[in-house]
Amino acid sequence: MNYFTESLLAAFSLIISLDADIFRIVVTSVSISIIATLIAALLAIPAGVSMALNSFTGKATLQHLLNTLMSMPTVVIGLLLYGMFSRLGPLGSWGLLYTPTAVIIAETILVFPIMMNLTIVAVKSADPRLIPTLISLGARPYSLIVQVVKATRYAILAALITGFGRAIGEVGAAMMLGGNIQGFTRTMTTAIALETSKGEFERGLALGLILLIIAFILNFALSWLNKS
Amino acid sequence: MKLVYELNNITLEQQHKIILNIPQLTIASGQCVALLGENGAGKTSLINLLAFTTQPNHGSIRFFGQPIRSKLSPSQRCRIGLVHQQPFLLPGTVADNIRLALSLQGVKRSDIPELIKQALKQVNLTNLADQAANTLSGGELKRVAIARAIAYQPDILLLDEPFSHLDHRHIQQLEDSINHFAQQSGKTVVFSTHDRFQAHALASSTINLVAGNITAAPLLNLYHGQLNQHFFDTGKMKFHVTSTQLYARHLAVDPREIIVSPQPLQSSMRNNFFGRLILVAEEGHAIRLTIECAERFHVIISPEALVSLNLSLGDTVWLSFKSTAVTVF
Repeated sequence: MNYFTESLLAAFSLIISLDADIFRIVVTSVSISIIATLIAALLAIPAGVSMALNSFTGKATLQHLLNTLMSMPTVVIGLLLYGMFSRLGPLGSWGLLYTPTAVIIAETILVFPIMMNLTIVAVKSADPRLIPTLISLGARPYSLIVQVVKATRYAILAALITGFGRAIGEVGAAMMLGGNIQGFTRTMTTAIALETSKGEFERGLALGLILLIIAFILNFALSWLNKS
Repeated sequence: MKLVYELNNITLEQQHKIILNIPQLTIASGQCVALLGENGAGKTSLINLLAFTTQPNHGSIRFFGQPIRSKLSPSQRCRIGLVHQQPFLLPGTVADNIRLALSLQGVKRSDIPELIKQALKQVNLTNLADQAANTLSGGELKRVAIARAIAYQPDILLLDEPFSHLDHRHIQQLEDSINHFAQQSGKTVVFSTHDRFQAHALASSTINLVAGNITAAPLLNLYHGQLNQHFFDTGKMKFHVTSTQLYARHLAVDPREIIVSPQPLQSSMRNNFFGRLILVAEEGHAIRLTIECAERFHVIISPEALVSLNLSLGDTVWLSFKSTAVTVF
């Protein structure tokens, strides 16, 4: 108990003293997650709205695939991308392995199906009169997507926050593809795993507390959006 | 006269059930047309077909002479204003909703404020421009939806059950708004209603819909049943008819062809029933009697005939009509 309390106090002290190493990790982690979330959002939101608005052959299969991808273990995504980006892999010449780009790609792939699915749910949960009204007012495919996103913006923003939460908490793929290189690809989750294994429990705890604060802020934002 | 719509051999199916079956229908420019029918008759489906928000399974529709294959071009779309039965206004003010419609139609940004003013003036709601859409009453909401639909000055206004769930005052205001649009040169209005009196009060012509079929028969005395030889059986009454068609499921009796008498008539008329007079109502320049037999009948007579019959509510009366006054379909 004494050990835990001392570590907790030391962790608080690291946070309050704005430890440069800790905050470098936080900045790396947050920036990688934001970029991955934004790329996924740019792809998943229009794709999700389009899928919700249109009927086409294979829609049910695509929906099943999305559901499968949502529950796909992150370490499997890491493994597959590792095979692609490793020197002997088909994309080995790109030199992406152990770079932030590789982690961003992995997190984008991880977040995309979650965001697309939540966007589909958001559009389907909208007032059933919304889409017929917009079409009757003359909305064409592009303007229809824009207006539907506008009308369901709170639910879509919730999808964005959920996706960011998933990205920032990811550890398996980040470890395999980023290599946990200090000041370069070391994220909060990979750093926690490393510091704990090194016996630097207070540093791991400090990062864990920051991750918890981020999770709390995200949940607070989500519940505020739900009320809206 | 220029034709706005020409429908040929239209069939619309939903879940393997025929919702609409229209061999031919034309609507001319400048008309105010009422789609009349009971709930489930196919009025909303026909409005959606005319708005091109639903595609028929079979048949063709020509719009201003042009055959429409699947979707309307933007220039065709802007000729139609559609108001749904329960209009949906987007979050924001009344003006925001009209502004959205105008911008979706590609109206120049500089023209939008003036068009919003004009549209609200037509429905007499200028004072509500800055009011939040979610604070409007039912009648105001429908008028705003009309303002939104006519803001881009379409040639056709389609309204699905515009008068449902409204009180008398709001119905009057809504009628004024529709009339204001209909009176403009070349504008066509098509609205659906189950209220026959409303239809005749507002429309220049009516389209009667029964179970997805258009019929020329008036729908005031409409009964459902089965035809067997020369008798149509509703389960409560048997009507003598001249038609021998096999698959007739509906029967209508022209309310002006029914003769009312206090005593049984000695005549060649094959349909004779007696019942109790339960309602006398003025309908335009005529009188409508409602008579409860095994089925309920409506009869239209002149005010002079009412005086000569000297009827009181609750009186037993006889109804007589020829087989030719009956339409089966």
